[in-house]
Amino acid sequence: MLTMGLDIGSTACKCIILEDGKNILGRAVVSSGAGTVGAQKVYDEALAMHSLKREDLGRLMVTGYGRFSFETADNQKSELSCHAKGIAFLMPTVRTIIDIGGQDAKALRLNAKGMLDSFVMNDKCAAGTGKFLEVMAGRLNVQTEELGDWDAKATEEASISSTCTVFAESEVISKLSMNVNLANLVAGIHRSVAKRVAVLAYRNGIVKDVAMSGGVALNKGVVRALGEELKTEILVHADCQLAGALGAALFAWEELCKQA
Amino acid sequence: MTETVAQKPKRPLPKSRVMVAAQTAKVYQDAWDAKARGEKIGWSTAIFPQEICETMGIPVLYPENNAAAISAKHLGDDLIAYAEGQMRYPMNICSYARLNLALAEKIQDPAYNTADPLLPSPDFVLLANNSCTQLMKWYENLSRNLNIPIFFVDCLFNYDEEKPAAYKVTYIRKQIESYIAEMEKFSGKKFDWDKFLEVQKRSQINSKLFDDIIQLNTRVPAPVNGFDFFNYMSCLVLCRGKESTTEIFKQLKLEIEEHIANGTTSFPAKEEYRVHWEGIACWPNLGHNLKTLKNYGVNAVINGYVTAWNIVYEPGNLDSMAYAYATSSTNSLTTETIMNMRSDTIKKFDCDGMLCHVNRSCKMMTFHIFVGRNIVEEKTGVPCSNFDGDQSDSRVYSEAQFETRVQGLVEIMKENKEAKNG
Repeated sequence: MLTMGLDIGSTACKCIILEDGKNILGRAVVSSGAGTVGAQKVYDEALAMHSLKREDLGRLMVTGYGRFSFETADNQKSELSCHAKGIAFLMPTVRTIIDIGGQDAKALRLNAKGMLDSFVMNDKCAAGTGKFLEVMAGRLNVQTEELGDWDAKATEEASISSTCTVFAESEVISKLSMNVNLANLVAGIHRSVAKRVAVLAYRNGIVKDVAMSGGVALNKGVVRALGEELKTEILVHADCQLAGALGAALFAWEELCKQA
Repeated sequence: MTETVAQKPKRPLPKSRVMVAAQTAKVYQDAWDAKARGEKIGWSTAIFPQEICETMGIPVLYPENNAAAISAKHLGDDLIAYAEGQMRYPMNICSYARLNLALAEKIQDPAYNTADPLLPSPDFVLLANNSCTQLMKWYENLSRNLNIPIFFVDCLFNYDEEKPAAYKVTYIRKQIESYIAEMEKFSGKKFDWDKFLEVQKRSQINSKLFDDIIQLNTRVPAPVNGFDFFNYMSCLVLCRGKESTTEIFKQLKLEIEEHIANGTTSFPAKEEYRVHWEGIACWPNLGHNLKTLKNYGVNAVINGYVTAWNIVYEPGNLDSMAYAYATSSTNSLTTETIMNMRSDTIKKFDCDGMLCHVNRSCKMMTFHIFVGRNIVEEKTGVPCSNFDGDQSDSRVYSEAQFETRVQGLVEIMKENKEAKNG
């Protein structure tokens, strides 16, 4: 029996098709988020990949910022529970998850059974979120996806002292005008994000193993800086960006089993 | 043809709510009438020994309560902007203070009528710093701007002690005695100690009644939507020593007992989860708070804020009264003491979780939350979730963030329940 998890984030939509609650049959990611055609596109792509139709899905669970507005969904769940569920499935030893989303950052703690136990999220501020990275990448005239590679070329970190996204952007402009090396600036930006997110993680309590979830986990520079701030190794699974969608598909499977 | 959508008829307010509205209107009208007669009227902090002016028949209004009412009606933003712009106050100070300081200036223009309810300008202010230290600067500025006196009762913070030391109680008692003498001189009215005893007794009757009412919500499911209690706080803030409050509370108790007898509730959905609400209400966003909680079947059955106005003491005993004013606000207590109280309440009210308002304005009620939630989680085993908001400043709140945090909390509470029930 197939279930689908659809994660409609603020900057990207992710989709997982799961077979019998254990085998990942299909994955799809579209780089446009809630309020766009992204959700429908990623859903269509995932189905088309395996020549499936809606009727072939036993249940469809939606999560993420746009979780309330996908009409054909059977149910919706918060991204908090879905990331916890997805990561616990991918890496069962993980007890602490850091997820940096497009509009928020969260630290999740799981209990020994892999269930969400506690969480802390950012306040009404874009610092430490994917939006911060997006704004900085735009100012540096590089793609957000390239930030990790630039970070690897850094010889030192250019300090970005402002927490506020707008002020940090001004700082970046100022440093660019002083010909500060771009790679070093990127490393400084990653440090700024890591410091902000580490506060959330410490506040929620850190229990090993620690993993990152979500698309920003693909940025090796952020993972490096966060690992240094938390003084621990951060595990990243190849499917980290799809963890929320995977969690949703797993919840869909559980609901299906309960119905049976 | 335009399709007409039938409006869902609003449920009529219960009689007790109508009585509250009438009582509040009368308190404001009495103040305006006194002002028109050339008598002195005052503004007071919310947990000040109100018994003295009540005894002397001097009208007093409460800026914190007024700011809450204005914010709940979405009329606060312009005043806050005026305080930050023309009056140059920083946005980091309390939004009640910003709103009220702006209003105090605006009402000097007789043509001003935008805020609701409108307060007459005060001739004096009453200040007790038992609930907040920022009140001192707020009231000092009122006093300076309007050139009016402050009557100040200095309440010391209770560091590392469950109960205030005896010298602190004596210090407050002496200040109350001095305040009575000063108010006699200022108002030209003689203080009637017999009437004072009656007012004290009435205050105790009302405090006891309110506590009895709150305790009725320990029932599962609760007969009252916890948010309803916000509507009755004004009775204790504005009219703790008045008989009309007794009548309102008796009526409210009757209504709740009726709910219990009929197996009904004022919570507008099936109560799936019970939570403790920590912090001041998010007045401009109360509607969204309630709608979201209702959608998830979450009844905030109890909160520490509505119980802060129960000032319990022995009538005729000034030391006992001083003690009550030293401890009634949890803001004068340590984090551990507050969270022990919260943990006991959570157990007593059979709460499944705690929802904490990280209030940008009220540092006093927010600083302890980050450590406090850990204490509560450890002592009670229930999960806690924070959300950002403000008591009056609508810029701080995000509807999507609130919903995600509530949903996350609900999902943990659901898992806990399922695990508990096997």
